[in-house]
Amino acid sequence: MSSPWHLLGLLVFPGFIFMAAVGMLVSWVDRKVTARVQYRVGPPVLQPLWDLLKLIGKETVVPRGASRVAFFGAPLIGLAGAVFVGTMLGYAMFFHMGFNGDVIVALYLLVLPSLAIILGGSASRNPIASVGASREMKLTLGYELPFILALLVPVVKVSMAGGAGPLTLTGLLAYQAEHGSFAASFSGLLALVVAIICTQAKMALVPFDQAEAETELTGGALVEYSGPALAVFKLTKMLMFYAVPMFVVAVLWGGFGNSPGGIVLGVVKYLVLVVVITLVRNTNPRVRIEHAVKFFWGPVTALAVIAMVLAVWPKW
Amino acid sequence: MSSEQVIDRLKNALGDKLKGTFAQTALRIYAEADPADIVEVTRVIHNDLGARFVIASGMEMETDFEVLYHFAFENMPPPCPLVTVRVHLDHEKPLVDSITSGVPAAAWIEREMHELLGIEFKNHPNMKPLLLAEDWPKDVHPLRRGRPWEGKVDRKI
Amino acid sequence: MGVTVKALMKSPWVFHVSAGSCNNCDIEILDCLCPRFDIERFGAVLIGSVRHADALIITGAMNRKSALRVRQLYDQAAKPCLVIAIGACALGQGVFRDSYPMVQPLDEVLPPGAVTVYVPGCPPKPEAMIAGVVKALAQLQPAAKPEGAEKEAADVQ
Repeated sequence: MSSPWHLLGLLVFPGFIFMAAVGMLVSWVDRKVTARVQYRVGPPVLQPLWDLLKLIGKETVVPRGASRVAFFGAPLIGLAGAVFVGTMLGYAMFFHMGFNGDVIVALYLLVLPSLAIILGGSASRNPIASVGASREMKLTLGYELPFILALLVPVVKVSMAGGAGPLTLTGLLAYQAEHGSFAASFSGLLALVVAIICTQAKMALVPFDQAEAETELTGGALVEYSGPALAVFKLTKMLMFYAVPMFVVAVLWGGFGNSPGGIVLGVVKYLVLVVVITLVRNTNPRVRIEHAVKFFWGPVTALAVIAMVLAVWPKW
Repeated sequence: MSSEQVIDRLKNALGDKLKGTFAQTALRIYAEADPADIVEVTRVIHNDLGARFVIASGMEMETDFEVLYHFAFENMPPPCPLVTVRVHLDHEKPLVDSITSGVPAAAWIEREMHELLGIEFKNHPNMKPLLLAEDWPKDVHPLRRGRPWEGKVDRKI
Repeated sequence: MGVTVKALMKSPWVFHVSAGSCNNCDIEILDCLCPRFDIERFGAVLIGSVRHADALIITGAMNRKSALRVRQLYDQAAKPCLVIAIGACALGQGVFRDSYPMVQPLDEVLPPGAVTVYVPGCPPKPEAMIAGVVKALAQLQPAAKPEGAEKEAADVQ
């Protein structure tokens, strides 16, 4: 494919427009399941779209003394990270194209939305936003380690078995298409559990949403944002709702096969992950930041290390 | 514990510092004390007898000011009465010792009584306004009789 | 009508301000979010930061301290922002009108024309508050037909 087609791939499919559509739909599923669990009715299907359009129509108030470059650049950094990760993932899953090391690049790009919240919160010149940004920093330090360890379990397995391209998304997907998904093995299952817990934190959902604690911090790191800048942050969150569980499904749970049955199975797996995340979100209280960091550096990292060690033996 | 038992306990602990005990009902006991003794009386009731300090009330009556301190004897078996100790203060210059040395929890209510009624508390650790706005004139006490704020406060911000 | 105005009607994010209310109206506002009335099906969400707000729901009679803060909050909200005054106290200070800390009522604290809808009651029922929110949203349409707003209000009851 020549370069102009890649631009279309970045912007339309499997890039920005496709990710935004799926992200908005999944964000609606999250709100609807939340409402149903709380015995309410919940919003209509197009609600996330109306939220974004409304925010675009409001004015953006910049606090006096805040750094305008960081204030407006932070949401764009987060958006760029999410869009590039989703596009890379889509290319690997639908077009079987990638480059060597794109798993590592994807892991780096997945950090960018959290970095955007930290940057935006610090640039807001508001003590509440600083508290939210510092909590996001601590949380990121907590969950990044087990997340990376869990996502390296497939890399270990593929390289021990001598498969091609252990550090490429296409290589991991091809290995799973041949030998069955990684979650069928014990270490893969442990890695999947760890990845789901870290996904909850990466998407800043209860019990790990200390950075944007609504009832406690009145908006946290995003307290001073309004208008289109806030719309970009909300859109980034919806894109991450697409990108992160899809990344986990692709790398650890078999991804999308080539046959129509495989695609349907992949969609079902993705929706199961989304519903699990939503149910966890609705049945747990928000934990304190020290407890969250201790939780991630304690049991979760231990589980991830055990999974990585067990991944060396093919039977496990 | 019945009200008679509580009154006996109080009399044993405080002797004649406590004047005029009166059980209005089985759960409501009133007692009087001198303003000079009030710190000792409240300290004994709160620390030695273990009662919980509930709140204090201030009232402007026709001839004097009254301050009532309410204590709940919740460490006793039920029914637990509420004991109120009353002091009478001078109408022109209401002045009493602050009881915060024995009952630290009384700090805020004494601030409130000072700014709303004008009662002076000696030796209070932190006599700052609590409820009224920052620009409220310091010598206007709203809860006194006769609407004392008329004409002294701007009704627009 | 522009798509952003239509989106504003479909997704009003609500920020709740209590300017010294007795909390009766505040409890009824929370009722609107609970399963029986559930205003989230109209897209309304209770948000934490005033900058994210599309509608300020203001309860309480304006006393000296809170009137100043209400004015600051209105300035901080990102425009366009509706203001919904809930309860007799927010409309005209209710039974507290001549009391000592009161300043001017809500529609004189905020700039003229800021208050979009007044919902009377002490406290107003959640149905009345939802009807008020619907009327406030209908005012965003430049050429709103009255029947349209009343039909929506009848639908939600």
